[in-house]
Amino acid sequence: MYGGGNIFEATKFDDLTTEDPVKLAEFEARIARGEKIEPNDWMPELYRKQLIRMIEQHAHSEIIGALPEGTWITRAPGFRRKMAQMAKVQDEVGHAQLLYSAAETLGKSREAMLTDLINGKSKYSNVFNYPALTWADSNTISWLIDAGAIVNQMANAKGSYGPYCRALDRICAEEAFHLKYGHDAVVHLATGTPKQREMIQAALNRWWPPIMTFFGPSDKMSTHTETLVRWKVKMATNDECRQQFLDMYVPKIWELGLTVPDPKLHKNADGVWEYTEPDWVEFKEVINGNGPCNKERLAVRRSAEENGAWVRRALLSPKAKYVKPLA
Amino acid sequence: MSLQSLDPRVNRLHLPENPSEPVAKTELDQLETYEVFHQKKENAAYTYVGPVHAPNEEVAFLFGKEQYSRRFACTGMWVAETRHVMVTPYTDEAVSVYDVIRINQENAMENGEKTAEAYEIFHLKKRGKAHAHVGTVTATSYEGALAEAKKQFGEMKPVVNVWVIKAADVFRSEADDKDIWNTTKDKMYREATAYRVMDKITKFKEEQAAK
Ligand SMILES: [Fe+2]
Ligand SMILES: [Fe+2]
Ligand SMILES: [Fe+2]
Repeated sequence: MYGGGNIFEATKFDDLTTEDPVKLAEFEARIARGEKIEPNDWMPELYRKQLIRMIEQHAHSEIIGALPEGTWITRAPGFRRKMAQMAKVQDEVGHAQLLYSAAETLGKSREAMLTDLINGKSKYSNVFNYPALTWADSNTISWLIDAGAIVNQMANAKGSYGPYCRALDRICAEEAFHLKYGHDAVVHLATGTPKQREMIQAALNRWWPPIMTFFGPSDKMSTHTETLVRWKVKMATNDECRQQFLDMYVPKIWELGLTVPDPKLHKNADGVWEYTEPDWVEFKEVINGNGPCNKERLAVRRSAEENGAWVRRALLSPKAKYVKPLA
Repeated sequence: MSLQSLDPRVNRLHLPENPSEPVAKTELDQLETYEVFHQKKENAAYTYVGPVHAPNEEVAFLFGKEQYSRRFACTGMWVAETRHVMVTPYTDEAVSVYDVIRINQENAMENGEKTAEAYEIFHLKKRGKAHAHVGTVTATSYEGALAEAKKQFGEMKPVVNVWVIKAADVFRSEADDKDIWNTTKDKMYREATAYRVMDKITKFKEEQAAK
């Protein structure tokens, strides 16, 4: 995965009046020329704030997203699948490392980000507040949640912030394996025994509603983002991402003889997909802490942090001094 | 009552259903930062891959190997503490950083009292790309090393940013340990090419059609 535009919201007001107009013009000209912004460059506060928030949420989504799939490592059918599932989960945790470092270059420490994850101040992708009930659910996440994430990450990799782009280039390269691995696992079940087909269809039915919310509220509901688009922070709208995802993956679901649990879902003659509007009330409810797994996800993360604390304390050199990563 | 999960491993942790307020992490809970450079193939320039958090250079080396070479080809690695890297300003892409920086000649002058030592020089050619090693210079200070780098590498264009690191502060992989960079064949399961999904789909469709 896992993310980006999924939960990221723009701040309500683009107040740039307090920024130095000359520096702001230089900054905007650099982005317009297609040059990347690097950590030591002057940047408007709004740019810094939005990027920290977006990259931090993306990082949290990676480590929390490792939990539902991690659950299935020990119970994956067969040794090869256990190894592959483990490799994928390890990649996701590695993605979190890369992203935390990219966010750190903007001035928020990793300690502060992890604290805000555990105390619930920062969000992560809402889909991980749902459980992976069966092995088929895990496969559905590996294929379709990662597919959604790739749509997002490929768009963001063309953004304007250098460290985020460098991290995303590495991440996207690794996602190629995730997507193939997930697709292969789903195909295996879908082309298997009637029982296996039933399992994957049930998982798909459970996961479709969260998947449809993955890219975040519809454009009609989102606050204005023109400034963030001009600054190449937001590279595609939520609905554009959702349309691209549907266009790429619904045919791949259908060709396996599986169905999508949305009677309204179809592609119009003009190429635009129509679908039942996701339940944004439930989305809000879950993202604010009341989903089936919110408590567990944070508790597990917190226990990992707390149980490892003594090791980090023992290793810390008294001469250590924090310097934010360079790039 | 402890938190109930579908996952027996989580149940075994006996996590509280209603936890206390979490305590904020203290500074350096996540340790210091190091910068990691990889050599992608024999004789290629060492190139920046990213940072890691670690308690010392040996652990930074292990983390750097795991984080950055687990999934990408690599034949050698350098690690340096972030605070040991001297960074010049970043310039516009049309301008070389060597033409903008003012080097304090007095500081840069050969200083008889200090012994000269080696410094590694890294260039960033384009914003958003990665710094790459261009060579080693000898000087008595960072500033002197930068002046020397300008003499030796100043004509290379474009250069939007330069990093200078004392060679002694770089922790390096050993040539004798080359084997650590090999990936065994049985790890093919983590390559996209190991999954022949299309074959399975085609076979499935043929079977469906035959029915
Ligand atoms: Fe992934
Ligand atoms: Fe993922
Ligand atoms: Fe990921």
